[in-house]
Amino acid sequence: MPSTLLSMTGTAAAAQADARAGKYLTFQLAHEEFGICVLKVREIMGLQEITAVPRTPVHIKGVINLRGKVVPVIDLRLKLGMATAEYTPRTCIIVTQVQGESGPVLMGTIVDGVSEVLNLTAAEIEDTPDFGEEVAGQYLLGMAKVKGKVKILLDIDRVLSTQDLHNLNAIVH
Amino acid sequence: MSHSSELRWQIEELALRLVVGDSENGMSPGEWIPALQRIRDCALGEQSAQVAAAANAIVERLQAPGDPPADARGVSIALQEGITCLQQAVEFEKSPCGATDLLPAQDPELLSDFVLESREHLAAIEAQVLTIERDPRDAEALNSVFRGFHTIKGLAGFLEIWEVQKLSHEVETILDGARNSRLTITPRAIDVILQGADYLRRWLAHLESSLQKLPSEEPPRDESLLLRIRSLSSTPSDSAPASCELAGLAAAIETPAAPVTPARPATAAQANRRNEAMAVKVDTAKLDYLVDMAGEMVIAESLVRHDSELGALKSPKLQRKIAQLTRITAELQKTAMAMRLVPIGPLFRRMARLVRDLSRQFGKRVEMETQGDDIELDRTIVEELADPLMHMVRNSLDHGIEAPQERAARGKPPAARLLLKAQHQAGQVVIEIGDDGRGLDRDRIQSKAIESGMIASGEGLTDAEVHNLIFLPGFSTAGEVTNVSGRGVGMDVVRRHIEKLRGRIEIRSTPGHGSTFLLKLPLTLAIIDGLVVGVGQERYIVPLFAVREMFRPTRETIWTVQQRGEMALVRGGLLPVLRLYRRFCVAPRSEDPLQSVLVVVEVGGQRFCLLVDELIGKQEVVIKTLGELFQNVAGVAGGAILGDGRVGLILDVDRLYKEKTDDPAR
Repeated sequence: MPSTLLSMTGTAAAAQADARAGKYLTFQLAHEEFGICVLKVREIMGLQEITAVPRTPVHIKGVINLRGKVVPVIDLRLKLGMATAEYTPRTCIIVTQVQGESGPVLMGTIVDGVSEVLNLTAAEIEDTPDFGEEVAGQYLLGMAKVKGKVKILLDIDRVLSTQDLHNLNAIVH
Repeated sequence: MSHSSELRWQIEELALRLVVGDSENGMSPGEWIPALQRIRDCALGEQSAQVAAAANAIVERLQAPGDPPADARGVSIALQEGITCLQQAVEFEKSPCGATDLLPAQDPELLSDFVLESREHLAAIEAQVLTIERDPRDAEALNSVFRGFHTIKGLAGFLEIWEVQKLSHEVETILDGARNSRLTITPRAIDVILQGADYLRRWLAHLESSLQKLPSEEPPRDESLLLRIRSLSSTPSDSAPASCELAGLAAAIETPAAPVTPARPATAAQANRRNEAMAVKVDTAKLDYLVDMAGEMVIAESLVRHDSELGALKSPKLQRKIAQLTRITAELQKTAMAMRLVPIGPLFRRMARLVRDLSRQFGKRVEMETQGDDIELDRTIVEELADPLMHMVRNSLDHGIEAPQERAARGKPPAARLLLKAQHQAGQVVIEIGDDGRGLDRDRIQSKAIESGMIASGEGLTDAEVHNLIFLPGFSTAGEVTNVSGRGVGMDVVRRHIEKLRGRIEIRSTPGHGSTFLLKLPLTLAIIDGLVVGVGQERYIVPLFAVREMFRPTRETIWTVQQRGEMALVRGGLLPVLRLYRRFCVAPRSEDPLQSVLVVVEVGGQRFCLLVDELIGKQEVVIKTLGELFQNVAGVAGGAILGDGRVGLILDVDRLYKEKTDDPAR
């Protein structure tokens, strides 16, 4: 619900900011720094061979074996509509636990490189400015300014919503 | 706690007071009347007219001026009788209305445990009752049936399922009588006990659906059954001589058919009980995790074993240690897998009951034998197997086995033989359902198939091909439709069931000598044998049970048929070809079919060819779900971890074929 988020005023927005405060894992994607709530992160692993699953949207890279579990992997650049890039030795997979339709599921996201874990206070987090319709605003929790640099905080549950992916599936077919 | 239990509790306390109470000073009527009046008022408040009346009767008796129970003994007797009346009344009244509000008040976990446990008891009861039928003097079997009903009664009482408790109690009374030699187990008693078990089963089904929040009707109380049970248990002195005669008569009929081996069942029963005591219930999620970890361990072990640096050491000592590790990991994986397996024996014993009922209904005499009861299969398979097995047993009794006169005319023993047998064969479990009846009638199947337009003529068809016609939908040769078979929804459903379990069904039949159905099933649904194939950079796993053969096509064997796409000539027939790289949008190593391999697969009786780049090998893989994200990906049934630790996709051959026929251009 991006519109409600953006239209929030005064005290409500402050309460929202409080809920957003906490530890974030930051990573790079193209020239930007992003952050996701550290509680969602299960582990970080180097890039490994991914088995492609046929006839799925292009941002779904396939599946990997995570200690006996088959875990889907998403290319976050493609998912967020950014230009694709060659994978480098810094490229890695962040395995997150997100809310699926029938309980929590593990999902991997490919990012350009992991930076650090930041402790963000409510004062450092601001609401996302209104970029207009075409920006994937519903994926954003807010913006954080740390040492003069802006980090974009992602709502990873929404980014990796399986429902969303199903809809895409339907469009692809 | 409901009101009814409050009432019960008050009465119990009264009874307790009577037992414990000091007889000298506690027996003045005035001490008891207030408590009784409370019970009466409480009962009136709940519209339990009988309890209220009973309570009132005691009060009146205690207060009666003309008949003063002057001494303590008189009061005590009056109270004892009165309280017994009260207990009966509350038992009788509360059972129906106690049941209606039972579910919300109860702990669902306890209830589901009760359902599970009672099912096990009922299964054991049925098996043992059939043993008793053969030998009414089998004390061990009798005791075991008694114990079964007794346990159910106790649990039902604890969970306040009064109908179940009541019926178990009544049946238990018969069995107790039999244990004390007060009455004999007659065939009628056997019927009643089995019907009692059926009634309990209906209740369990009701409880189970209520637990799952499904709409379900509470089974109505079967008054006539209760009456029949009571008439058996209450008049042992009158009916004993008659039933003795009956039993003798029954024994005279049954004895030649049933060889009595009292020693073995007893030990088997003891062994069973020991097994039960040693079993632990484990959450399946934990088991799955264990299986995952064991699988990973095997892969990790294999990576270590094949590590080139370790190999360069050329140390025999190290080699021995690694070999030991290999053995242990393999054993660990096997054990983890075996934990999901259960013996097939209980399922066979359920069939014994069916055979008994049906043989009476059809007026046929059948002797059932089971072999390989201890063969183990995946729990899911055993559960899913119940329906098809039941169907085949019915078919066998209805169509296969002849009536006694007909058998006599053919020089066969009057009692037919039905064999249920399980055995291991080449990593699979083979279940045989065999009878010595009339066998499949080739001519009748053929004419029926021609009549319903399934085939043009039977010429050139082998016996096996004709037999397989019975698996086509809508096929039935039964002259008339009975309530057990002959509706034409039979064998095709059976085959679909078996194929869903990744099994195969085969028929062996000799006219006049009987027929045998062979079910070839995997040990477990968690593992499949897969053929690993390569397409471009990708590897896929074709389930081996679907693979018939594979070959490299030549220019003569591959055709493009107008409007029907590509076909391959296989053993004189044309089969459609599906190029896997096209379907999956993968870049192949070569688009030339002559450089590729054709894998002939069969599903639902339909064959087609998969075109792949190369065959990599055969591997046993643990099936893993791809999760909700990929649940709609057509043609992929799941994933599996391959030997190098990567994920391979398991093909859904059925879906591939269906899409192929939807879209011949692909």
